[in-house]
Amino acid sequence: MSAPALTPAVRQAQDYLAAVEHDLADLPVDDRSALLEDLALHLEALTAEDDDRPVAVRLGAPAAYAADLRAAAGLPARGGSGAPGLRTRWDALLESPVYRRAVPAVRGAGRLLADLRPAWWVLRGYLVVLVPCLLGYDYVEDVPVPAPMHSHLLGVLLVLAAVTGSVLLGRRKVPQALGVTIAAAGVLLVLASAAVAVGVYDDLRGKVYAEAWAPGPEVPSETHPLLSRYGPVTDVLPYAADGTPLKGVLLYDQDGRPLHVGVQEWWADGCLRRLEQPRATDGVPVPNSFPQSYELVPGDVGATGARMSPGICVKDLTRPTVPLPVFPATAATPAR
Amino acid sequence: MDASQLLKGVLDVAVLAVVRDEDGYGYDVVRRLRAAGLEDVGDASVYGTLRRLFQAGALTSYVVPSDEGPHRKYYAINDRGRSVLEDSTKTWRTFADTVDGLLGPVAA
Repeated sequence: MSAPALTPAVRQAQDYLAAVEHDLADLPVDDRSALLEDLALHLEALTAEDDDRPVAVRLGAPAAYAADLRAAAGLPARGGSGAPGLRTRWDALLESPVYRRAVPAVRGAGRLLADLRPAWWVLRGYLVVLVPCLLGYDYVEDVPVPAPMHSHLLGVLLVLAAVTGSVLLGRRKVPQALGVTIAAAGVLLVLASAAVAVGVYDDLRGKVYAEAWAPGPEVPSETHPLLSRYGPVTDVLPYAADGTPLKGVLLYDQDGRPLHVGVQEWWADGCLRRLEQPRATDGVPVPNSFPQSYELVPGDVGATGARMSPGICVKDLTRPTVPLPVFPATAATPAR
Repeated sequence: MDASQLLKGVLDVAVLAVVRDEDGYGYDVVRRLRAAGLEDVGDASVYGTLRRLFQAGALTSYVVPSDEGPHRKYYAINDRGRSVLEDSTKTWRTFADTVDGLLGPVAA
């Protein structure tokens, strides 16, 4: 025995009831069941009437009917009770003017990211080989071409193989679980690269500082031809016996050769200066004339080329205070 | 003027007035309201109002089985409902008189 076939009107009424039930799904059970029971009886009565109009025409759209029911029964509107749910807030966000204005930009960014995926496949293949190489002490030789086991050829081959594998993997359709794993591995790779980059940067900076603060050269060079026990001599400050600072003093060594010193590059105020040695009448600089003459580079430029705050760079630096020996007042050049 | 907004404000008293005279089931109340002149009253609004008045204790309900068609859930007014209707009637009369006074005599 089969169930009686549903007439279109009955099916329509059932669909209508189901649609309203869906819209009342968030109500307490007793409210919902009471309202639906009334509606079911109402639909049954309507179906029995000799009226060909569809139910949705006679009663209005199911959503509107459910909304009217809620309003008249003093029940909260859909999603309107208490704190808004995540779904409601998400819908509100999607409908907000800010989001609508941002939609083109978001879509553009999405397309750009999709276009950049092949570049990421190549990059991750390179990073997979590079990052382990940078962990070694001799990382300098690994940039830009990694040199595992000190072999750039091996590095090139490994990078090519890794990039090829990465691109092939990227172009393949993979199950969702594997895709999530690959994405997670990609994030880890990026984090590891960032950590290694920071480590390399710190190491390099440490080396630069160590070099900058290292003692001067131990043997004379073209840059620092005159050495003292404290390091390179970059200027000589002559004084008369009575303590008067002298200028334009010509100094020679024991063999009559002019004394040359290195160029002073460090100044207390950190400002850039250039050497302006006195010139002979023929225009040739006299490098053994002391003290050396330095001129402040105009424009408040720091020694590193950075711009200095106005007022910091001082044109005339004072000589350091030095303890001078006191000679006897009658002292004369002893006769030999 | 949009009568549906006015209707929302007086639907409680209208429904109570309908069932005061005689118990009625949902569709019956709808039809009697329309027959009384409230043609625009919506089915859902009436059913929602019945539910709210029932929840508020102003109405009772009972089911009447039917051999020919679906059983019917009747609503009946109780003492609380009658008291609410009485208060609402006074409020409505005062309100209607006030608005009538504001509007002035009906133009000939």
